[in-house]
Amino acid sequence: MTPPGGNGASLPGRILVVDDTPFNRQLLARLLRGLGHEPVEAVDGRQALARLRDADVPPIDVILLDIVMPEMDGYQVLAELRDDPALRHLPVIVISGVDELDSVVRCLEMGAADYLPKTVDPAILKARIASSLARKRLHDAEREAVDRQAASNEVLAIMSRSAFDLQVVLDAVVRAAVRLCRADYGVAYTLDGDAYRVAASAGGTPELDAWERDHPIRPGRDSLVGRVALIGQVISVDDVLDDREYQATPGQHVGGYRTLIGIPIEEDGAVSGVLALTRNEVRAFGDGERALAIGFAEQAAIGIANARLLETIERQRGQLARFLSPQVAQLVSSPEGEALLAGHRREITAMFCDLRNFTTFSESAEPEEVLGFLRRYHATVGSLVVEHEGTLEHFAGDGIMVFFNDPAFQDDHAARAARMAMAVRERFVDIGDEWRRRGHVLQVGIGIATGYATMGRIGFEGRYDYGGVGNAIILASRLSGEAAAGEILLSQRTFAAVDGQVAAEPAGERQLKGFSRPMPVFRVTAGSGGDLVVAETATAAEAS
Amino acid sequence: MSAPIDQAVWTNLIEMTGGDVEFVDDLVDTYLADGERQVAALREAAAGGSADDLVRPAHSLKSSSLNVGALDLGALCRALEESARTGKVPDATQQVTAIATGFDEVRSALLAERAERAAG
Repeated sequence: MTPPGGNGASLPGRILVVDDTPFNRQLLARLLRGLGHEPVEAVDGRQALARLRDADVPPIDVILLDIVMPEMDGYQVLAELRDDPALRHLPVIVISGVDELDSVVRCLEMGAADYLPKTVDPAILKARIASSLARKRLHDAEREAVDRQAASNEVLAIMSRSAFDLQVVLDAVVRAAVRLCRADYGVAYTLDGDAYRVAASAGGTPELDAWERDHPIRPGRDSLVGRVALIGQVISVDDVLDDREYQATPGQHVGGYRTLIGIPIEEDGAVSGVLALTRNEVRAFGDGERALAIGFAEQAAIGIANARLLETIERQRGQLARFLSPQVAQLVSSPEGEALLAGHRREITAMFCDLRNFTTFSESAEPEEVLGFLRRYHATVGSLVVEHEGTLEHFAGDGIMVFFNDPAFQDDHAARAARMAMAVRERFVDIGDEWRRRGHVLQVGIGIATGYATMGRIGFEGRYDYGGVGNAIILASRLSGEAAAGEILLSQRTFAAVDGQVAAEPAGERQLKGFSRPMPVFRVTAGSGGDLVVAETATAAEAS
Repeated sequence: MSAPIDQAVWTNLIEMTGGDVEFVDDLVDTYLADGERQVAALREAAAGGSADDLVRPAHSLKSSSLNVGALDLGALCRALEESARTGKVPDATQQVTAIATGFDEVRSALLAERAERAAG
């Protein structure tokens, strides 16, 4: 439509003419049509409001309102409009006779935008309508911008609230994309093997959803999604029925869509998904809508990347949680976690503790007693491992192996191991007493050694352990074997590392299995006779 | 009394519609049909003695009459509308009769114009 004699600034609008006098309606409608607008007529206020509130018909841009009408007059209409948030912004031009200026003032006070003399002058009509239309368009543009911002914020809020729930994120993205890009149907496909499958959809019938779900799409020129996957760019098809390469699939018949747009959801340069929007009428997606859709596809990409990250973290956490203290599990669930699991060489302190007389005890006690004791022993030591931030390598019967300085770095790893050993021994005094009363002598022996070891994932698919290989580990195990009941033995390197922090004394040289020469051994004296921990605060300061 | 239809307004009406006389004829038909309804409503209101009931038909006939160029008739309607709004119209029947007569004159003038145009 081109307004005759229009200056280009006056775009056509849909104008509601509310007047009970047929002559006036007919004349105004004719003049409006002549200006390129689309008139809609109402005989009184009630009919006008009914038309304005009818969601099934195209919306009105400007209202031309007569004041004196039966049923519901102009004032009542203005009051109703003012109270209706959906209609409040609509510009109202009051039609008034020259003898009704008092009424005009009242109407302007009630929110009318302008007035028009009843003795119609086409030039004035044109100018007033153009000015109100511009006002309405500005309002619409603002509201659209607010809507888009709100929808985008909503998706972002959902993403931050359920960052790792891909389904929730994709559902929100597709819903917002369909609404804001004025599509009839939208689907987010994600790559699964060699085909793109429906991950989320909005606006479709159950039949269409079912059809799309049952028909994964492979890259190729015969479908929109296939083409996007193939070339990794935004593809628009203005009318599928005019597109030579597009195979009108049964899906098109089910959905009845005509205009399509597909946006790649990219991850590291690969098309890991496609956001597709369709319209059931032939109406190309505009530049603004295209830009919006690209924004939504980017949000979907972030959602997919987050979900994948979570998957990796969960997998690693699953592998690690069994043998790491919570702090360490957290640390390893980082992007570097995979590298840590792969293997690395590091100086560690290994602590090995096992029970004296355990074999005798397990033979003489009832099995239930043995299990009950082990549970308590493991729980006690387990909580101390967590408290001292050690890495539990394994529980094997009465033997427990704990590392320090891996995977989390600990400057005071040797002292930590010694302090944990003393704590185990202290707790064991009570446990030992209790069992002594039942006739069993159970005492703990602990060995600690410091040195380089290769740490990482050991084992096979489905049954991995985090462990290490190195002399220090073997040495700790041998020292634990050497330790008498209640004794904590240190290797030379551990002794040197804890010097000044934990009181210890030489305990001679021992010939240990697997070591060619006799090894110097040291015994922790602190804690055994009352002169317990030396300078706890000093070590804490040193560690920080 | 001057001519029932003001020539300047009438010409303006023709111009506004872009010289579409067919549309103007339709418009006149609408005016006449609605005008008859309003005159009937005025008569009824005057007979019933209700000033309130005079307001709307007087108002309606006023605005369309002014637009069609029937300025005198429009003035009669305006006077009646204004007094009806005050709630008291002692000479309602006389005023309505004057309006009815004025409307008949306007109708005759409009139909004569049409016949003249058809002949010319």
